[in-house]
Amino acid sequence: MGDRAWLIAATFGYLISSAWGAYALGASRPIATRWNNVLIFVSFLCHSMFLHQRGQATGHCPIGNLFETVAFFSWSLALTYLVIGSTFRMSILGAFTAPLVFLLNFFALVAPVDVPHPLLHMAWQTELHASLTVLGFGMLGIAALAGVMYLMQERQLKRRALTHWFYDLPAMGRLEIVHRRVLIWAFFLFSIGLLAGFFVPQTRAGDEIKIAWSAAVWILYACLLLAPRFIPLSHKKVAWASVAGYVFVLLTFWGVNSLSNSHRFNSGLSTAADYSTGPQK
Amino acid sequence: MSVQLVCGGITFEAAPVELRERIAFLPAQLPVALPAIKTTLGLGEAVLVSTCNRVEYFGATAEPEQAVKSWPLFLRQFHELERQFEIPSFHLEGRDCVSHLYEVASGLKSMVVGETEVLGQLKNAYQTAQQHGATGKWLNRLFQSSFAAAKEVRTRTGITRGNVSVASVAVGLAEKIFGQLEQCRILIIGAGDTSEKTLRALQNCGAQCVIMANRTYDRAADLAGKFGGRAVSWDDWEKEAVAVDIIISSTSAPHYMLTLDKVRALLRQRSGKPLFLIDLAVPRDFEPAINQLDDVYLYDLDDLQSIAQTHLHERQTAIVQSQELLKPHITRFCSWAEREHEALRLASLGANRFSA
Repeated sequence: MGDRAWLIAATFGYLISSAWGAYALGASRPIATRWNNVLIFVSFLCHSMFLHQRGQATGHCPIGNLFETVAFFSWSLALTYLVIGSTFRMSILGAFTAPLVFLLNFFALVAPVDVPHPLLHMAWQTELHASLTVLGFGMLGIAALAGVMYLMQERQLKRRALTHWFYDLPAMGRLEIVHRRVLIWAFFLFSIGLLAGFFVPQTRAGDEIKIAWSAAVWILYACLLLAPRFIPLSHKKVAWASVAGYVFVLLTFWGVNSLSNSHRFNSGLSTAADYSTGPQK
Repeated sequence: MSVQLVCGGITFEAAPVELRERIAFLPAQLPVALPAIKTTLGLGEAVLVSTCNRVEYFGATAEPEQAVKSWPLFLRQFHELERQFEIPSFHLEGRDCVSHLYEVASGLKSMVVGETEVLGQLKNAYQTAQQHGATGKWLNRLFQSSFAAAKEVRTRTGITRGNVSVASVAVGLAEKIFGQLEQCRILIIGAGDTSEKTLRALQNCGAQCVIMANRTYDRAADLAGKFGGRAVSWDDWEKEAVAVDIIISSTSAPHYMLTLDKVRALLRQRSGKPLFLIDLAVPRDFEPAINQLDDVYLYDLDDLQSIAQTHLHERQTAIVQSQELLKPHITRFCSWAEREHEALRLASLGANRFSA
C-alpha cells in the first residue's frame, strides 16, 4: 500500500466522521458514539502510517514539501484532539476537529503540492524546529476550536436565544479551562520549536519576514497567556484573539513561507536550504 | 389460561393530591404490600409503583378481571379506607399495559413531561419487587426492556432537554457558565420565595458558599442559618459582590440595586471572572444594560420563565417522536410474549398427551 493510499483512507475516515458530526449536531443526537470515536482513532492510525512510510522514504520527519507539511500539521490536530478529548472527556471536540483535518488533508491530496524533493539529510535541529512548531500549530488549532465553541455559547447566552447547540456543547467553564491549558501546552511546544530554529545551522538571508512573522505569532500568544494575569481581560476576548490569531496563521502560513528562502515549499527544493546544512547521505 | 400483563392504579390526571397521599405506599410498606397485592388481585408476579404523582401496580395474571375488581378492595384493606372512599383507577391489559409502562418510564406521562426522576422511581420499585421475589420472567423482561426503551428516548429525542422551572433554568445556566458549581460563591440580596427555591436548587447541584444580605439583618441571619450560609449587613453587600460568582436578587426596591456603572467598577476588581446575575425582583433590581458587559450574564424573571416555557413546549412536541421510537420496542416485547405463550401452549399440549 503506497503512502498516499494511507492518507486517502484516513481522509475518508475523517470525512465520514465530519458528516456524522454535522448530522448529530443538527439532529441533536449524541456525537460521541463508540463507532465515531473508533473511526477517528482508526483514521488517525492510517494518518500515522502515511507519515511513517513517508518518513521512511525520505529519511526524516515528513515535512519536506507543502503536502507533507499540511499532512503533518493535520495529524498534530488529530493527535491533540485524541489527547484532549479523552483527558477532558470532550469528545464533541471531534465534531469540530474532524472537518478541519479533512479539509486540510483534502487540500493536500488534490492540490499539486506533493512535489518530489531530493533525499537529503535533514539536520536534527531542523527536524526538531520544524516538527515542534508544526505540532504547536496543531495544538493552537484545537485551542481555537475550543474558543469557537466558547464563543458560540457566549453569544447565545448574551442574546438569550438558546438553541440546542447551547445544551449540546460542553459548559463554558470547562471550555475555558481546556482552552487555557491547551494554549499553554501549544505555546510551550511552539516556543521550544522556535528556540530550536536558532540552532539550525546556516540560516539563509531572506528569512527576515519569516522570523518577524514567527515572532509576531509568538508575541500574540504570549500576550494571550500573560495578559489575563495583569489586566481584567474577559475570556471572550481571549477566545476571540485565539480564533483570530489562528485564522491569521492559517491564511498567512503558506504566503510567508513562500517569501523565505529556507522555508519555501513551491520549488520542489522547498527545504533544500535546511537539508543542505547537514551531511548528505 | 394464558398469562396476561395487567396494570392499573391512580395518577395525578384523575386523582387530586388529597387522594393520592392517602393511598401512597412508603418504601418500608412495600415488602408487606407486595405479597398482599399478589394474593388479593390474584397476580403471579407484581410490582408496586408509588410516587408523588402515581400509585400503580403491574402484574402478570391468568385472571385479569379479578385484578380489576380487587384493586380498590386491596387499597381499602391495606390503607384502612372508608367504604365510600372513591378510587378513580384505570386498568390496562396486554399491549396497552406494555405501552403504558414504556411511556411512564420515558417520562411521557409525567406531570412535567420528560422528567427523569420517574425512571429512577420505577427502577427502585422493580428492584424492591425483585428482591422480595415478587417478579418472574414476564415482569423482569417487561421492566428491563422499558428501561432500555426509556434510555433510547432520552438520548434520541429532546424530551428531557432543558429545565422547566425558573429555579432549574437558573441552575442550568449557572452550570453552563461555570462548569461546576462546587466552587461558586453565591450572594442573595433580599429574601423571596423564588430566590430561596433557586438557592436550594443551586445547593442541590453542589454550590456551597452562600452570603445573605437583607434590609432586616435578622431575616438574613435566619436564611443564612437555614442554608448554611453567612449573613452580612445591608451596607456590605456591594463589597461582597466583588468576590462572588452568582448574585440572586429579589428585593422590593423601587430603583435599580445594581447599575451599569456599579458593575463596571466591580468588574475591574474581578480579574475577568464571569458573573451571573439573576434578577427575580419586580420591579427589576439590575439595570438591563448590564448585560452588554463582557463576562456578565443578566437574566431576569421573564427571561427565565420564557426559557422554561420554551423547554416545556419542546418537550410537548417531542412526545410524538418519542412514541414513534417506543413502537419497535413495544412490538419486540409483544412478539417475545407471543412466542412465550406459544411455547407454553405447546408444552402444555405435550404434557397433556404424555399424561393421556
